[in-house]
Amino acid sequence: MTSQVRIAAVGLFALAAWQGAVPEAVAQTPTRQPAPPGAQVYFHYPIDGLSVPERFTVRIGLRGMGVAPAGINHARTGHHHLLIDTEPGPPDQPIPSDYNNIHLGNGQTEVVVTLPKGRHTLQLLVGDYTHTPHNPPVMSPKITVNVR
Amino acid sequence: MLRLAPALLLLGLAVAVPIAGASAQERARQRSPAAATARLSFIGLADKAQVPAKLTVRFAISGMEVVPAGQAARNAGHHHLLIDTELPPLDQPIPSDFNHIHFGGGQTEAEIALTPGKHTLQLLFADHNHVPHDPPVMSERITVEVPATSAEKPRSAAGPGARVFFVDLRDGATIPSHAKIRFGVEGITVTPAGTTSPNGGHHHLLVDTELPALDREIPSDFNHLHFGRGQTEVELSLPPGEHTLQLLMGDHEHVPHDPPVVSQRIRVRVVGDGQPAAAAAAAPHAPGTGPARTPSPNDAAVYFVYPRDGDRIYPTSTIRFGLRNMGVAPAGVAKPNTGHHHLLVDAGPPSFDAPIPADLNHIHLGGGQTEYRLTLPNGRHTLQLLLADENHMPHDPPVISERITVTVVPGGPRARRRR
Repeated sequence: MTSQVRIAAVGLFALAAWQGAVPEAVAQTPTRQPAPPGAQVYFHYPIDGLSVPERFTVRIGLRGMGVAPAGINHARTGHHHLLIDTEPGPPDQPIPSDYNNIHLGNGQTEVVVTLPKGRHTLQLLVGDYTHTPHNPPVMSPKITVNVR
Repeated sequence: MLRLAPALLLLGLAVAVPIAGASAQERARQRSPAAATARLSFIGLADKAQVPAKLTVRFAISGMEVVPAGQAARNAGHHHLLIDTELPPLDQPIPSDFNHIHFGGGQTEAEIALTPGKHTLQLLFADHNHVPHDPPVMSERITVEVPATSAEKPRSAAGPGARVFFVDLRDGATIPSHAKIRFGVEGITVTPAGTTSPNGGHHHLLVDTELPALDREIPSDFNHLHFGRGQTEVELSLPPGEHTLQLLMGDHEHVPHDPPVVSQRIRVRVVGDGQPAAAAAAAPHAPGTGPARTPSPNDAAVYFVYPRDGDRIYPTSTIRFGLRNMGVAPAGVAKPNTGHHHLLVDAGPPSFDAPIPADLNHIHLGGGQTEYRLTLPNGRHTLQLLLADENHMPHDPPVISERITVTVVPGGPRARRRR
C-alpha cells in the first residue's frame, strides 16, 4: 500500500518544524480541536482523474477556516497535510510524518511533488497545531491522478 | 535577457537521426510517388514577414498524410524544415543538421529561434526513409526577417510631476563602502515588474553609467541594477573612490516612461571601512517610518487562483488566493517566511513602509484565510493581493500580486455568451 514515493522540495523548514513538535504532541494525549462549521479543504489542482506530469504543484484551497504554521495554537486554523497513496490514520492521533504524509508545517498552501509514473491517490487533511485532525476531520475526498 | 547567440537554437524539437551511414548519401534511393494534388505551405507566415526571434512555425499539408518516420505508407510522409539552405539532392535522404530539421515524430509545428537578420525557410516533405517524394512536395522558399536587437517598445506614460529621488543622500555625499541606498518616489507608484498599472513602475539604479536609450528595455548588468520586485532600497557595495548614482524608473517591461522618470545624477565618494563616513549616509530610518519590515524570500509570489484578470464574476464571489514559496500564518504570529493575505479592492498599492490600512478597500485576512467571499456592486473593479507580516507591514521586498480587473455582472460569468 505504502509505495515508495519520491518527494522533491517539500519545504525543509516545514519538516524541521514538525520534528521539533513531535515529542510534545505524543506526550500529551491531544484533545481534538473542534472543526469550524462548514470548514472544507479541497484541491485547486490537480482534480480527480487528471493526468499530470511527474513533477507538479499541488494547490490547496481551504474554506471556512484559516492557515497557521504548525505549533501555532490559534482558533479556527490548521495546517495542511498531503496524503499520497495512503489512508488517513486514526483521527485522534497526530498525522505521521513520512514520505506518504507530507506536512506543510510552515503554513504553505501549495507544494511541488515528484511522483513516479502511474496512478496515485492524493488526499488533503488539515491538522491542528499538534498535527492532530480536527473534530470532525477537515479532509478532502481522495482523488486519483495519472502521472505520465 | 536571454541572448541566443549561436546560429540557430532549436527548441523542443524531436530531431530524428535517420541517416543510415555514409553509404546512404552516395547511392540514390528509390523515391516514393507523391500525389499530384499535394500542397505544402506555412500557416500564417508570409514571405518577407517580420518575425520575433523565437517563433512557432506551423506546417499545412493537403493531399497527403503525415505519419512518423520509419512507417512506410502510401501517399504519406513527414515534414522537414530547411533553414537558410538550398534544397538538398532530391534522390537522397535529407541531411539532419541545424539547417535541416526533421519532424520524424509526425509533428506539424515547431518552435524555432533565429538570430536577428534575414533567414530563409522552406518545407520539404519526405517519405519513411527521409527521401523526398517524386515529384518533391515542398513549400515556397520564404524569407523572414528578425529585427535587429529587441527593437523599440511602446513606452508607458508617466503622470505629470512624477519624480524619483534618493532619500537622505545628496550630491557630493560620502558613504561607506557598504551602504544602504533608499529610493523615494512622488506622483508615481512602485509596482513590481510585470505588473501593468497606470502610472506605475519599478526602480533601476544606474551606477557609474550614463542614461541608457530611453525607448527600449533598460539593460541588466552590474551598472544597471533592477528592482523588479518593487524594492525601495538596496544594500550597495562599492569600491572606495568616486562613483555616480542615478535612479531611473522602468515600466512593467523595464522600459523608461514617457517622459522618463529619472533622478538627478549624483556623485558620491566611497570611503573604506576604516575611515569615518562624514554624512552618516542613509543609515538611520527616515523619521516617521513604522516598525522594520520583515524580509521575504526572493522567489515568493502571491497570485489569484480565482478570478483571473478580465474575468466576469458574480456580485458575490469567492476570491481564492495562491502563495508560492511562503506560508500563511495568522496576524500576530511571528514566523520567518510567513505572512497573511490582504485583499485590496479598488485601491492602489499602499505605502510599503507602513502597516496596511484596515478599511473596506483593504480587507485583512488575519485569521490565515486563503479565500474570501466578496460582494461587490456591478461594474468594473480592481483586485490586488498583498502579503504582510505579523504587524500588517508588507515584506521587503513586498509580496504583491498583479492588480487584476474584474467586471461584476448580475448573471455572472455566463452572461458573457449572451450578447
